[in-house]
Amino acid sequence: MTGIRSISRRRFLGTGALGSAAALTTRGLEQVLAAEAHRQGKHVILLWLAGGASQLETWDPKPGRPTGGPFQAISTNVPGIQISELMPRMARHLQHTAIIRSLNTKDGDHGGASRLMHLGRRDEPTVKFPDLGAIIARELGRTDSQVPDYVSFYTATEGRGTSLGQSGFLGARYNAMSLTQEQLPANLRRLEQISEIDHRARGELRDTLSDQFMRGRESAAAASQREAYQRVPGLMASEKLFDPSGEPLSMRALYGETLFGQQTLVARRLVEAGVPFVKVSRAWWDSHGQNFETHLELVSELDQVLDALLTDLQQRGLLERTLVITLSEFGRTPAINASLGRDHFATVWSCSLSGCGILGGSVYGKSDDDGNDVAESPVAAGELFATIFQAMGIDHRKEYALGARPVPLTNPGSEPIKAVLA
Amino acid sequence: MVSRVIIGCLLCTCALFQVGPSRAQELSTTVLPDPELTIGAAIDQLIGERLARAGLEPAPLAGELNLLRRTTLDLAGRIPTAREAREYLESNAPDKRRELIEQLLGSPEFVAHQVNLLDALLMQSRRSSLRDYLERAVTENRSWDRMFREMIVGEPGDGEQSGAIQFLRSRISDIDRLTNDVSVIFFGVNISCAQCHDHPLVHDWTQDHFFGMKAFFYRSFENGGFVGEREYGELEYKTVAGESRKAGLMFLSGSRLPESEVAEPSEDQRKQEKAQLEELKKQKQPPPTASYSRKARLVDVGLESENATYFARAIVNRIWQRLIGRGLVHPVDQLHRGNPASHPELLDWLARDLMHHGYDLRRLIGGIVSSDTYARSGIWESASRPPAELHAVAILRPLLPQQYAASLALAAFDPEQLNSPDAPKKIQARVQFSRGFADWFELPGDEFQVGSEESLLLSNSDRAARELFADGNETLVARLRACSDIASAVDLAGWNVLNRPLADAERRILTEYLQQRQDRLAEGYRQMVWAMMTSAECRFNY
Amino acid sequence: MSKVVKDLQRREIFFCITRDLENHQLFAGASDGRVYRVIPECEPPVFLGMDGHRGYVTGVICARGCVISAAFDGALIWWDPVECKPLRKVPAHARWIRGLALSPDESWFASVGDDMVCRIWDTESGLLRRELTGHAPRTPQHFPSMLFAVAIAADGQQLATADKVGKINVWEVSSGAVLRSIQAETMYTWDPKQRIHSIGGVRSLCFSPDGRQLLAGGMGQVGNIDHLEGKSRMEQYDLERGDLIHAFEGELKGLVEKLVWHPQGQVIGMGGDHGGFVQIYDLSSRAIVQQEKTAAHIHDFVSNDAVSRYYAACHGRIAILE
Repeated sequence: MTGIRSISRRRFLGTGALGSAAALTTRGLEQVLAAEAHRQGKHVILLWLAGGASQLETWDPKPGRPTGGPFQAISTNVPGIQISELMPRMARHLQHTAIIRSLNTKDGDHGGASRLMHLGRRDEPTVKFPDLGAIIARELGRTDSQVPDYVSFYTATEGRGTSLGQSGFLGARYNAMSLTQEQLPANLRRLEQISEIDHRARGELRDTLSDQFMRGRESAAAASQREAYQRVPGLMASEKLFDPSGEPLSMRALYGETLFGQQTLVARRLVEAGVPFVKVSRAWWDSHGQNFETHLELVSELDQVLDALLTDLQQRGLLERTLVITLSEFGRTPAINASLGRDHFATVWSCSLSGCGILGGSVYGKSDDDGNDVAESPVAAGELFATIFQAMGIDHRKEYALGARPVPLTNPGSEPIKAVLA
Repeated sequence: MVSRVIIGCLLCTCALFQVGPSRAQELSTTVLPDPELTIGAAIDQLIGERLARAGLEPAPLAGELNLLRRTTLDLAGRIPTAREAREYLESNAPDKRRELIEQLLGSPEFVAHQVNLLDALLMQSRRSSLRDYLERAVTENRSWDRMFREMIVGEPGDGEQSGAIQFLRSRISDIDRLTNDVSVIFFGVNISCAQCHDHPLVHDWTQDHFFGMKAFFYRSFENGGFVGEREYGELEYKTVAGESRKAGLMFLSGSRLPESEVAEPSEDQRKQEKAQLEELKKQKQPPPTASYSRKARLVDVGLESENATYFARAIVNRIWQRLIGRGLVHPVDQLHRGNPASHPELLDWLARDLMHHGYDLRRLIGGIVSSDTYARSGIWESASRPPAELHAVAILRPLLPQQYAASLALAAFDPEQLNSPDAPKKIQARVQFSRGFADWFELPGDEFQVGSEESLLLSNSDRAARELFADGNETLVARLRACSDIASAVDLAGWNVLNRPLADAERRILTEYLQQRQDRLAEGYRQMVWAMMTSAECRFNY
Repeated sequence: MSKVVKDLQRREIFFCITRDLENHQLFAGASDGRVYRVIPECEPPVFLGMDGHRGYVTGVICARGCVISAAFDGALIWWDPVECKPLRKVPAHARWIRGLALSPDESWFASVGDDMVCRIWDTESGLLRRELTGHAPRTPQHFPSMLFAVAIAADGQQLATADKVGKINVWEVSSGAVLRSIQAETMYTWDPKQRIHSIGGVRSLCFSPDGRQLLAGGMGQVGNIDHLEGKSRMEQYDLERGDLIHAFEGELKGLVEKLVWHPQGQVIGMGGDHGGFVQIYDLSSRAIVQQEKTAAHIHDFVSNDAVSRYYAACHGRIAILE
């Protein structure tokens, strides 16, 4: 119904610019360009723990409390910070990591909460907001990129409907390249009937015809179509990135043999090749029964995957340019139910941020002794998103113009948490 | 009952805009061109005046075949066939453009395309569909005000609630959204705005406007999937200051509608009502209708003389946007004084004309496509292109999913098949077939961008290759192969896909491409057809 | 048999319970790391907590005048039941201990833990006599496995252990050899599609008095593994042939946490999902002759001498059933 206008990368780069007034109102072009350059080559890997991982069995253990459950807390390589004993390997990476222990997001329903934690704000009836991945893709993606801007894995079927990305008013250009059951994104592989040379020649013929047609005409939409076709060979070449068998066995073993491990390894391959945003969803954590057995499985896996990813990124010199996030739609109740489960809980829960732009070894916010309420510094979804943008060098106050309405990246009043930013 | 979302919005207080009553009066005091002018003439006069003021000479009219394609896409939802294009070009009829428009407006394809467009506007890809209703309504050319009434109040005799009322029925579980959808779709006013407080141009909008509109629907409810309406119930909301307030009926213009007090039912009456509703639910029957209906009052007040200008302007603006590429008020859901129309007199003239002619949308559409403004070329030769809103030059418009799908399906079809008397039937069948892949494409918004999903799909998907670029029975590729030489094949492809003779340069490029593939000419033809069908020319209405 | 006659509600979750035959008192292991000495007949009932473990207490036995407990902290503790003081603490497993079983002559007992080892201990000296290893530490899907259950036959010659993926090993105690391996795969649900993790496992084992049969309890395949919503399940095996004799599928959902062969020939099983259940199996007619719901999930139970009364360790309570 309404479209999106903003100062775009395309305009800086001089392709397909439409002469309408730039909607980015608050900052000078020079500053923006500087920030633009600054952001080049940055990435986000979101490990989306769908269904709601328990803060008590991960980042905010309460050993010895009636709500604490059976797992102990262990010390980490940062004095004074303890995490669950289920994460012994992660305990060696706290110098790169900030833990937020005081998310209070108020929505304990999978659907609504998942949308909230993807969008950083509530849905509004008539605005289709872009999700974190789409915004990062738009802000950090490069026009001349040979790889996708936004890749999303979600293999389990539970919760997939509410966790799939949306580019919203940013448009299809920023849709996630989405992988569900299949190991490869759709339509990356050339059909056998056409040779590689003809495939390329055909694309060039298309461009030539289109360029002739566009003489004397002007349209940002047509420019985006040209770009979409020009990206085809690059995207097809990125097919190999999705195949982890190209990695040494030792590397594959480091990430573990599980699907989540192998997909996270692919995520690293993708960011290394320049993809700005990769979401690897690990579903389904909704442990209403047997919370501890479930977390013994899933946190053990997460621990190995996080350890592998952070180690690997660091060894490749990518960690300082890559932000690794673990996030769910909510946490789990401190109360342990009769099925030894924990239920949905959005009042006080945790997430982690590691790497790019983050003040390592920091803990922000505090839950009370039994984890029932925020004791210090509550954090809402918008503040978390503002923090993520800030860590990536993106001004969270930047506005897109949706018709006549300016829409900032995060809702007004959402300030980044300076205490966890480097 | 009060939605957190909307309250949240209004608490952070956006200064929304005022759609004050004065706007309606402006219409009667502004000097508008003669109401007796044709729509086309009025448009050209008012667009021309502004161009003259800007010292701009508009682009020349587009070529005949360009216009044929543009008009066919807009009225029939598809490209013309090669044969239609040739015949149009060859025709010497002095009035062939007017005849074309009339013929298209009277065709079943116009109805089908209108149904697609209206369904997309009204149902916004909801699961339920208004298609059955819209098909009846558009075939009969029902007036837009009547359709509005039928969608809000229901058609007489539709006890099953299977017709127009689906519009309301599909939204009944969320009254806030319903309120806003009705405001946006029928009145061009988006009242969900939550973050406009920094906007320098807009005036204050009180919570009364939103809740005044919401009050019209507040007594409507869902029972067993059906829509019912009570005769009691008052909407209360909290003001910014935290005070509780009753929301009376108030239209967007600010006019308040008095109502007599209604006593709240007793506990017993409520129980009785509940039991009755449960019983109806079991029997899968709709609840009884209210003898006094608030939503019916919205229709009445919305169509009252002064208020009706919002209603008329909103649909005029939408249709203008669709056919011209940019709303007279842009964006189309921002009809308010802070966001003036590019051509206020034109909007008012067209709105008045629509009201005076019984809200006849077909007449309006026919009028707009008959104007020279519609018929301008999209090519601007000199250095600086004038701003789009001056309409000096045609705006390139991305095809809607169904338009692109239907056009691809026809472009890929063997043109010989359409030389028979049953060509219209075959065209219809192709268009029908194309519905199966219309969802490959995104519904374009104002600043639409094509994503790589589309380019990858058309490049590499097996299904696209099979259904659009195949070399079998009744395909263009097979017909090209049957051509005596490359030159005639190239020409045929040009007519079939691009609906025009090719320029020399194009002919040269394509011939060369094919000559390099003499050893695999069939494959060469497929590639050429692919390149044409994925080209910007084929993807857009120009 | 399944009427709750007394319901002692507490904050703790009770995982295990045993009875001191001489003194008519109960010992129950709880989620707060304590072993409680419980005298239910007192008014109000006495709950005397004994501190020593760190972690859920999941096994408790009375033997040779001592109480011996095991917990998720991997430790075994010998207690003086009168003074309520720890006598000895032994680090027994590298991971959680899931349960204990006492030999008929009380001279030794077995512990099982998530290090997937069954260890045999001398009751009096506390010395390790033997280690039984034969359960895979990882599930076929590469997740940590768990060793949930252990039982000892009436002659003290055979011992059975069972794990998360439904593998049951029957061991010869004297040699440590595996006499038989059984795969009770129905009791392990791996969800490869919807949620990509698992639930279940064999949670209880019980030999027939003659040692020729083995019963295994758990739950059947689960649709939605977020919940304990599989049908309760008990499988009866012929140990000589290794065949499944019959699988008893209960109408009630949840895990069968404990199985006891009643002297009169019937088998009693208890467990639950959110709520608890009591089931009585008639093996000769292959029928579940009684299945009743109780208020809360039952993790363990023990009977009185006359086998007319049962004390159940439940979520948030000790329940007495008759």
